[in-house]
Amino acid sequence: MRGFGDLNPAVIMTYYLSVIGTAMFCMDPVVIALSLVGACALFVTLDKKHSLKLHISFFLLFLVMALINPIWYHNGVTVLFVVNDSPITLEALMYGISASAMIVSVLYRLRTFTMIMTADKLLYVFGRLSPQLSLVLSMALRFVPLIRTQTAKVRSTQKALGIYREDNIADTLKGEMRIFSIIATWALENGIITSDSMEARGYGEHRRTNFSLFRFTRGDAVFLALCLIPAAVFAAAVASGEAAFTFYPAMSGTAVTPLSAAGYSAYGFLSLLPCILEWKEDIRWKYLISRI
Amino acid sequence: MEILDIKDLSFTYNEAALPALKDISLSVNEGEFVVLCGATGSGKSTLLRLLKPQLSPFGTSTGVISFCGSPISECASAADIGFVMQRPEQQIVTDKVWHELAFGLENMGVKQQDITRRTAEMASYFGIEDKFDKSTAELSGGQKQLINLAAVMVTEPKLLILDEPTAQLDPITASDFINTVKKLNRDLSLTVIIAEHRLEEVIPICDRLVIIEDGRIIASGPPNEVVTRVYDRDDIMCGMPAAARISAYLGRKDCALSVKEGRELVRCYNNDKASSEPEKAARSSEPVLEFRNVYFRYERALPDVLNGLNFSVYRGEIFCILGGNGSGKTTALNAAAGILKPYAGNIYVFGKKLKEYKNQSLYRECLALMPQDIQTVFLRNTVREELKDAGVDPASLPYDLTPLLDMHPYDLSGGEQQLAALAKVLALKPKLLLLDEPTKGLDAASKGRIRTLLRGLADSGITIVAVTHDVEFAAEAADRCAMFFRGEIISTASPEEFFSANSFYTTAASRITRGHFEHAVTARKAAELCLLNGRKAGM
Repeated sequence: MRGFGDLNPAVIMTYYLSVIGTAMFCMDPVVIALSLVGACALFVTLDKKHSLKLHISFFLLFLVMALINPIWYHNGVTVLFVVNDSPITLEALMYGISASAMIVSVLYRLRTFTMIMTADKLLYVFGRLSPQLSLVLSMALRFVPLIRTQTAKVRSTQKALGIYREDNIADTLKGEMRIFSIIATWALENGIITSDSMEARGYGEHRRTNFSLFRFTRGDAVFLALCLIPAAVFAAAVASGEAAFTFYPAMSGTAVTPLSAAGYSAYGFLSLLPCILEWKEDIRWKYLISRI
Repeated sequence: MEILDIKDLSFTYNEAALPALKDISLSVNEGEFVVLCGATGSGKSTLLRLLKPQLSPFGTSTGVISFCGSPISECASAADIGFVMQRPEQQIVTDKVWHELAFGLENMGVKQQDITRRTAEMASYFGIEDKFDKSTAELSGGQKQLINLAAVMVTEPKLLILDEPTAQLDPITASDFINTVKKLNRDLSLTVIIAEHRLEEVIPICDRLVIIEDGRIIASGPPNEVVTRVYDRDDIMCGMPAAARISAYLGRKDCALSVKEGRELVRCYNNDKASSEPEKAARSSEPVLEFRNVYFRYERALPDVLNGLNFSVYRGEIFCILGGNGSGKTTALNAAAGILKPYAGNIYVFGKKLKEYKNQSLYRECLALMPQDIQTVFLRNTVREELKDAGVDPASLPYDLTPLLDMHPYDLSGGEQQLAALAKVLALKPKLLLLDEPTKGLDAASKGRIRTLLRGLADSGITIVAVTHDVEFAAEAADRCAMFFRGEIISTASPEEFFSANSFYTTAASRITRGHFEHAVTARKAAELCLLNGRKAGM
C-alpha cells in the first residue's frame, strides 16, 4: 500500500513547497482555515502516538499569539472594549487569530514533514542536485552519531580511570578539553581509513552515478498533477486580486467570483490532498483485508 | 592460471632507513586461498597494500608485480582487486546498508537498473536482505565486516585481499566471516590472500601458507609442509592451530592442522598409563569483589541484562568471565566499576558497598577498568605525555616502553597499545583490575606477553577480573573461569574442569583430546600426556 509517506521524496517535497509557499503570501481567513484544517487532519492521520500534549501546547501557543496582537495594536474601526485607555478592536483580534492560526498550521505541516522526510529521503532530493553533495551528506549523517558514541565511550573510560576528577570545575573543564582534542584526532584518524576504503572501492576513478531506492511511478505522476494544478489555480486567483482580504481599517473580502471560488476550492483540495490519499488507501486496505 | 606474480619485490618507506620488504617472490594461481602470517610489523600489511595500487604506500620499490599478465599499476582498476581492512567501523563510508553496497558501483558509473540488480544479488548471497534498509550504525561489528566484504564483492573482483579482517571480531562471528570467505573462494573460484593472527580457523582450509619475517618470506607452500619447517620456532608456533602445536611438541613429520586430524593423531597414543588431575584452584578466602543479587537494565522498557547476578572474586586470583555476545559480561564489568548503576542488589568492593565510595575514592588505589576499545584510554599526542599525565615513571614499569615513548598512541600496534594503556592504569595502583577483552586484536606473541604480565601482577597481590571471548587465553591465563549466560553466572571452575566439562564452548586442545585424555585443555598438556603414555604399538 502506498500512502503519502511512500511517495517519491521529490513529489513530497514539491507538495510541501506548494502548500506552504502559496499560503504564506495570502492573509485570508478562509485560506488559513483551510490550511489549518488540512495540516491538522494530516497530523492526526499520521500520528500513531496520539500526542495530546502536542495539541494542547499548540493550542496554548495559538491563544497567546492571537491575544498579543489586539493588546499591542489598536488599529481598526470596531472597538470592542477599552482597557487602560487603549481600545481593543475586532479587526486587530481577527488579525491576531488569523496570523497565529497560520503559524500553527505551518508548525503542524513541519511536524508531518519531519515525520515523513527521513534523512535518506532528504538526501535523495538533494542528491538530485549533485552526486558529490549527496555523498557528503550521507557521510556526515553517518559520522555525527559515530562521534557522539565515541565521545561517550572516552568519557566513561576516563571516569573509570579516575584521572580527570570531577571534584572541581577547573579539572572537569581540563578533562573535557582533552577529550575534545582527542576526539578530533580520532575523527581524522578515522577519516584516513574511510578515505582509503573509498579509494579502494574506486572512488574518483570514473564519473559517479547516484543510486537510490526511490522510483518515480504512475502514482507519483498523478499525485504531482493533483498537487500542481490546484496550486496553479489558487495562485492565479490570488495574483488576479479576486481572492484577497484586508483587515484594516475594516475587514473586507472581495466579492465571490468564479475565479475566486475556484481558487478557494482548489486550495481546500490541495490542503486536504495527502489526507484524501491516506483515507483512500485506508479504505482500500480495509476492503482488501476483508477478502483475505 | 597464474593471476598474480611477484618477482624480487623490495620496498622501502620514505624516510625509513631499512627496507620493509626484501626480495619477495610469490606467484598465486587463480582460485588459490593464501594465508599470510607473521608477527606484527613483519611487513604483511605493506605487502598487501602494494598489491592494491589505490592503497600503495609511499616509498621506493624495486621488482615487478604482475596481475593477470601485465604490471599491476597499469591494468588493475579498483574493481578488479577487493580489499578489506581490519577495523569494521572505519571502512564504512555511508549511512545506509544499501548505499554502502551500491557505493563501489556508483563509483564505476554503473546504471541505476544494474545497481539495483547487483546489490539485490549481493544482499541475497550474503543473507543480509533484512538489513538492506538499516542504518550502518545499528549493525554489530561482525555484521559491519560482512557488509564491508559484500560492498567489495559487488564489483566482482578477481582477487580478494583481506588484512586481518577478524581481529576486531569475537571468535564465533570471526569463524562465520572466515567461512563466508571460504564459500566465496569455493563457489566463485575467487583468489583470496588473507593476513591473519587467528590461525586456528584459516590454516586448515587454506591452499598455501606464507610466513613473513622481517620483510622476507621464510616459508611458503602447502600448510602442513610449511608448519613442519617451523616446528623449532616457538614464536611462530605459538599462533598455530592446537593440532599443529601438539604435532610440533611430539615432533611428528605429518603435521595435523584441523581438530579432526588432531584427534586422529592423539588416538595413536595410549591413554591408560598416565592421566592428569585437574588442578583445584587454590585461593585466598578474602573476597575482593562480590555481586549479590544484582539486577540491571538499560531502560525501563528493556529486559534485564543482569538478572540476579551472584559471584565473588578472591584476592590475588585471575578470574575470567566467558560467554556469548550480549550475555551481559561487559555490563557486569561496568557495573563493578561504578559506571552503570544496578537498580537492585549490591556490589561489594573490598567488603564495602560500591555506593559508599564517595568522590571518586573508588578509583584511587582501589579499582581500575580497562575498556574494550583501548583507544579510549589515550588523550594525548605521545605515549610520554600520556604517562607523565598519569604520573608514571617509565623506568618503574615491569616492561619496557622506551622505544614507544615518542609515538602517538594511535600509531601503536594492538599489543603495544594494550601495554601503554596498562601502564596508565597501573599508575593508579589498583588492587582490583577489571579488563574488558584484553586480547582483542592481538597476535599470539602479544597475548603470551600479556598473560605473563597479568600473572606477575596477580602474584604481587592484584586481583584481576577479565571478560573475554578468547577461550585459549582463558584456559592458559585464568585461575578460575566463569560462564555468563542470560545475565547470570551459571558455572565457575578451574580452567581444566571448566573447559573439559564444556564440549562446544571450549579450547581446540580440549576438543582434540575429548574422550581420550581427561582435563587436557591446552596443547602443551595434551602433548605431555601423549609422551607420558607412549605411542601405541604399530601406530
